[in-house]
Amino acid sequence: MVRRQYSDYGEVKVTGWEPPPLHAHNDIELWLGADLVHLPIVRSVVATIATRADFDLDAIADLRLAVDEACSTLITRAIPGTTMRCRFTVSDEELRFTGTVKSATDSKPSTKSFGWRVLTTLTDAVDARVTTNGQEGHQVDIEIAKRRAVVDVPGAGA
Amino acid sequence: MTGFRAQPAQPTSSNEYEHLAPLFDELAALDEADEARRAELRDQLVTGHLPLAEHIAQRFSGRGVAKEDLVQVATVGLINAVDRYDPSRGTDFLSFAVPTVMGEVRRHFRDTGWLVRVPRRLKELHLSISSANTELAQRLNRAPTPSEIAAHLGVSQDEVFEGLEAGNAYHSMSLDEVLSGDTENLALGDTLGEEDTALEGVENHEALLPLIRELPERERKILGLRFVHNMTQTQIAERIGVSQMHVSRLLARTLERLREGLTEQEDEDPVSS
Repeated sequence: MVRRQYSDYGEVKVTGWEPPPLHAHNDIELWLGADLVHLPIVRSVVATIATRADFDLDAIADLRLAVDEACSTLITRAIPGTTMRCRFTVSDEELRFTGTVKSATDSKPSTKSFGWRVLTTLTDAVDARVTTNGQEGHQVDIEIAKRRAVVDVPGAGA
Repeated sequence: MTGFRAQPAQPTSSNEYEHLAPLFDELAALDEADEARRAELRDQLVTGHLPLAEHIAQRFSGRGVAKEDLVQVATVGLINAVDRYDPSRGTDFLSFAVPTVMGEVRRHFRDTGWLVRVPRRLKELHLSISSANTELAQRLNRAPTPSEIAAHLGVSQDEVFEGLEAGNAYHSMSLDEVLSGDTENLALGDTLGEEDTALEGVENHEALLPLIRELPERERKILGLRFVHNMTQTQIAERIGVSQMHVSRLLARTLERLREGLTEQEDEDPVSS
């Protein structure tokens, strides 16, 4: 397995966290400390990506809120001092966000929480996964997808 | 509320507000069902304490934020303080309200990125985008995309991106107020009961409801319309007469507040999961 050379990063341990290769030029990945202070950065990134991908303003605003919610949930579960990974994938149909942290417990984010209700209202698909990987501990992912609204191209249709 | 008094804020002494204290007791003792009297008392208490908000706003002046904006934010803090104050705890209102109002003003400085200088051109662009958004949403019956806004305004898409970003950096409540006019005068059909039922399936329902009840009326309404009635932000904006961008901002703030509230409760009362 290829390991990233993060030796300069002090306490942050990311070994065994090698992400799958980025698929195309429209995949974007962000690694940051699993700390609430970084939320504004993730929010801005998702908004910028959605804006550039010409999502409608409601979808952009919903994505900001959803990513905020997803990351808050993840960060509160993350082992302090570890890293959160955020991946954004834009396609013709949708924008997909996957947030990943390492957690000390293997409990899955509850689908009955208010936060989950927020996520399902704001997006078209939500999924949470916990993978346990021996001594590496537990990895929690939250994945959300927002479909692009059907925009009538002027001239197409009546 | 019809504008704020123009005279400079006087130093506040508790004497000035003494006559208002009995109103809090009345408010606390009031029958839940007496909405009319409750609203009346709340109004009197907020209006009566306005000089306090002005006084605090004054203390933050000279930092590049317009006085009217500061007064507006301080007033929001004051309204929150009036709503949350519990006279049975034994502290007097002023010692409760002053930190609450100052907190609101500080948060405004912190959250809204006021310290980021946004060039005038971008502020104006942001304004045009916001009004184009409202106009196009009405025509299209959904929120427009950045490219549609660009076409409508006759500017490049890049300029629209810039303008939208400026809005994020600037986060100005006042810009929204320019567009949305008097937002305090909402005729709000209270759907609180309905929201209670809709949220019953939520596991932290019992912790959540008091937090929702504490929200200012408009925020609570917007929350309900988005997460119970599943309306889009554009539809909500139209319904309550503010811009979509403002709805977005209020929702973000409300969700953050609820999250904070729920986390605090968990910290106090750890639940094994």
